[in-house]
Amino acid sequence: MNCSDCKEKLDRYLDRELSNTEMLELQLHLEGCPPCTDNYEFQASLKRLVKVCCEQDKAPDALREKLRQILT
Amino acid sequence: MAESPPQTAFAEEALTHLDTLYRGALRLTRDPDSAQDLVQEAYLRALRYQHSYQPGTNMKAWLFAIMRNLFWDRFKGSRKEDVSLDDVGEFVLYDKLRDEGAKPEADVLDKLAASEVVAAVEKLPPLHREVVLLVDVEGFSYRDAAQTLGVPIGTVMSRLHRARQQLQKSLYDYALESGIVRANGTKEVPNE
Repeated sequence: MNCSDCKEKLDRYLDRELSNTEMLELQLHLEGCPPCTDNYEFQASLKRLVKVCCEQDKAPDALREKLRQILT
Repeated sequence: MAESPPQTAFAEEALTHLDTLYRGALRLTRDPDSAQDLVQEAYLRALRYQHSYQPGTNMKAWLFAIMRNLFWDRFKGSRKEDVSLDDVGEFVLYDKLRDEGAKPEADVLDKLAASEVVAAVEKLPPLHREVVLLVDVEGFSYRDAAQTLGVPIGTVMSRLHRARQQLQKSLYDYALESGIVRANGTKEVPNE
């Protein structure tokens, strides 16, 4: 695997959507390639950031209670 | 009259996914009141059609599909107006920051305000926004996201890729405007 292949597969690696073999190949490439590792860590941080920021919103308690009464 | 145990169990399980549905509705409608209405309607519809839910399958995905279908029903006309992201081109924030000498690149992420990250997500066209919500926020697999959205996996992947590019471009623009990075410069505003 070269850096171009790594870049092309990085989204799917981040999302754990590659086959086991591909995951391993990419992992091996990352272990020997600091620039790709930096890029991977940056993309992983960005993905985490989006998740953390968007997860802060919780359903209001009043809505939860209202739905509980309607549904049960 | 007391409800039967199966319905109570269904309702209890459905309610464990309330935060996911509310967050999704909030990001799609960008309005807390509209989000609550949408979620309530989605749960009522889920209750009505609970016979079509197969126990043991992904209830979160099933509920999300009901909610997003209701969203699109309400905003029917806007589906055509969903902005294409074809013109974003390849935009990789990491490459951009590296080229401009903002090192270490990851430090820039620490300086982004959470509200700006949410705003960047909400600026995405809805068809792209919902893929980011499912995969990046809620951790859906591509397959579950595809089933939820009723599109092929390839469509999920291409929308996700374009959405991430646009998201990175929005965050870069914000970083420039707020002085976190400077265009074509090597200096980064330090943390206080």
